Amino acid sequence: MDIHQELKELSKFLSDYSTSLMAVGVQTSRIVRNTSRIAESYGFYVDMTIFQKTIIMTLRDADNSHSYSTVNKIKPLGLNFATNSKLSTLSWEAYDEHIPLEELKRRYHAIVNKPRESKWLVLFLVACANASFCRLFQGDPTSMGIVFVATLAGFFIRQLLMESHWNHLAIFIISSFIASLIGSTGYLFHWGNTPDMALGTSVLYLIPGVPLINSIMDVIDGHVLAGTSRLINACLLIICIAIGLSITLLITGISTL
Amino acid sequence: MIDYEFVQAIIYDGLFAAVAAIGFAIISNPPRKALAIAAFLAAVGHGLRYYLLHSDLFNVDIATASFFAAITIGLLSIPFAKYVHCPAEVFSFPALLPMIPGMFAYKSILFLTKFLQSKDQTASFQYIEQFFRNGITTIFVLFALVVGVAIPIFLFHRQSFSSTRLKKMTNK
Repeated sequence: MDIHQELKELSKFLSDYSTSLMAVGVQTSRIVRNTSRIAESYGFYVDMTIFQKTIIMTLRDADNSHSYSTVNKIKPLGLNFATNSKLSTLSWEAYDEHIPLEELKRRYHAIVNKPRESKWLVLFLVACANASFCRLFQGDPTSMGIVFVATLAGFFIRQLLMESHWNHLAIFIISSFIASLIGSTGYLFHWGNTPDMALGTSVLYLIPGVPLINSIMDVIDGHVLAGTSRLINACLLIICIAIGLSITLLITGISTL
Repeated sequence: MIDYEFVQAIIYDGLFAAVAAIGFAIISNPPRKALAIAAFLAAVGHGLRYYLLHSDLFNVDIATASFFAAITIGLLSIPFAKYVHCPAEVFSFPALLPMIPGMFAYKSILFLTKFLQSKDQTASFQYIEQFFRNGITTIFVLFALVVGVAIPIFLFHRQSFSSTRLKKMTNK
């Protein structure tokens, strides 16, 4: 095959591959490693620049005489560790078995199109998790019950709004408001002995833990720009949580949190 | 003499941390077998942090305790990564989630808005002190967690970067 055609085909695939990795929440250094590994298995070299919204990369052959560049938008996928793990395995498969590109593309699409966990199971488990989180902050069983219901309602609203593609900052404010409003019932009706913990932990299911960890990991790895933009995004979400909670505090007049 | 109530408190802490880890991890759709490992690691890590925070022997602050808990999670995650062929962070990150300082993070924002609204000078000094206390705790705990979990990855460089490789490592 003509070398330009070959570079073009692989370049398109790698750009697809790396933007999917970025979308499912992989740390930047792993994206670079995995993508370079696949390029190497075809005898090429890849250099890339990663931003929050786009990835720029140039693929070149061994003696630097031919190259192909792509710029591609990050895909709008949610965090997904299963895809992260499988796509990393795929890069080693390409490296060890020298799979032809068509086969590699087929395996890649099979991985990316795999369905997520059922949304009802996720809803239930998140509610359980936040209730036990309340227990970790010394909340009593009544507070745990309040937090369970609050999370159930808040996360359900979040799922609904995400399906209808609302702005993600607005989603965080609304679901934080709803969860904290239900969480504040402990104060309003004097249920349980730890109403402050019920209110305080009711919004914690929204905290973007994985993006926060990824951002610090990127900064430590030297991808400071990518890390900082992830950190700022995560901080924005935390500010939105605080706004939703403030609305509740304003309405109910609670001032002790 | 072992204080049974304290041991019981540690075990309960670990159990609830495991449930919390499963629930917070499932939002990011991990592989099923990684979920079980994440729950185990979270229980060990959070239990250890509870012990370090409340035992009379050590009496350390929350950032140091989180650091040692994260190192333990990182060390344990490497043999598991080799065993199930997943990147170590697929279960070490979910295991860290119950220790993420979420409440400190949003409280620092809340105190900042209270400082803005306050007209009383003594109260506003208290709010700004609380803002720094919560904000600095957030940053230190977050860095402690991530650095702690990253140290074992750097120490066992070769094993952790090739854990998703299915082919046996051969001498090249």
